[in-house]
Amino acid sequence: MSEYVDLDALWKVLVAALLGGAGLVAVYSLALVGLSNGRAAGRVVAGLCFLLVAVGIVLGLYVMLAK
Amino acid sequence: MDANTVLLAVVVITALAFDFTNGFHDTANAMATSIATGALRPKIAVALSAVLNFAGAFLSLKVAATIATGIVETGAITLTVVFAGLVGGLAWNLLTWYFGIPSSSSHALIGGVVGATLIAAGASAVKGAAIVSKVLIPAVLAPLAAVLVATAGTYLVYAITRNVPDGTRGRGFRYGQIGSASLVSLAHGTNDAQKTMGIITLAMITAGTIAKDAGTPLWVIVASATAIAAGTWIGGWRVIRTLGKGLTDIETPQGFAAESSSAAVILAASHFGFPLSTTHVCTGSVIGAGLGKRLAEVRWSVATRMVAAWLLTLPAAALVGALAWGGADLIGGALGVTLVFVVVLILSAGLYMASRRRPVHAGNVNDEWTGGVAPAPVVRGGVA
Repeated sequence: MSEYVDLDALWKVLVAALLGGAGLVAVYSLALVGLSNGRAAGRVVAGLCFLLVAVGIVLGLYVMLAK
Repeated sequence: MDANTVLLAVVVITALAFDFTNGFHDTANAMATSIATGALRPKIAVALSAVLNFAGAFLSLKVAATIATGIVETGAITLTVVFAGLVGGLAWNLLTWYFGIPSSSSHALIGGVVGATLIAAGASAVKGAAIVSKVLIPAVLAPLAAVLVATAGTYLVYAITRNVPDGTRGRGFRYGQIGSASLVSLAHGTNDAQKTMGIITLAMITAGTIAKDAGTPLWVIVASATAIAAGTWIGGWRVIRTLGKGLTDIETPQGFAAESSSAAVILAASHFGFPLSTTHVCTGSVIGAGLGKRLAEVRWSVATRMVAAWLLTLPAAALVGALAWGGADLIGGALGVTLVFVVVLILSAGLYMASRRRPVHAGNVNDEWTGGVAPAPVVRGGVA
């Protein structure tokens, strides 16, 4: 089986995709929770979350193009 | 103009035509969910996707090793084989578009090239192990990985934002969805336009027009980017409808989770060198978005039809590729290739005419799903 499947690459793809695809989605959702909470602290949390998502997107584009 | 130049010209035009169908077939991957949820109006969505596909094509200028070279022996590749392979891919793209089935353009192209090589140079010129490891197994794993990521993402999105007021939630996820769909469009332009650039470069090297180690000429990059963007902009509404409305009914948070999952899987796979088809990933993501919200909201009959089409992609495109090579070889030379090209044009026009009878367009793409690709004709205004 492993002769045909690059298992090493596969699990890395899965972990990275889960971190980016589900993890950042959760972070973005947290930002919306922060925004709707009405307090200044909520807005700070939201800002940090958005920043994290932006970093994730830039990183994603970078790894695609750096190949 | 000698015969060889005519031959090369026909191959380049066919490659650009394939690139065009690649664009309009795959608009759905990035934009189907944004159109279905109303995050973007249909025409705006395809225009945005077209611009990003165009830009994406310029982002990375390293010539992608053409997908064909890893699959068949390089020595077996002639201009006629490249042409026949493209015809196989083109035919499958048009047929699946007619039936509104998202299917992988790369698989169609690989199938066409394999079919043409099989008949032109025999089974020994086809690398069977490479097809299993680079094409077949990833085709099974890609949708599964995407289903997993999108299901997790969708579940988290709904769990975390349960108490967020509808206004903030709707607006937030709408922007998020547009952003992640844009990312998918950009990645599509970068990855798929490269394939056409690679094919055209390969054809020019085979014809001896440019040196073996020459880079992709600028006009090839511009032409490929333009063809894929034009195709995207025309919009494969039939495929968009199946992916956005047919598989499952999608809300904005699900669309956001699905597109983010697609973007993440595509970027991760491209980084770690795992060859995944954009179409398989995006379809898996949409199914995952259905599963993550409430189980069994997916229309499995539609999903089954898609999987059946995926299984058929390689053999069907291979058959057309083999037929195209056989036809061109029978007549011989540039004339044979040109005649096959004309036949393909006529058949494509016929398919287009057939699609006009029950058209899907920007105006009805979001109509209620009634079991078929084309929406049931609605008599508007209450006049029977």
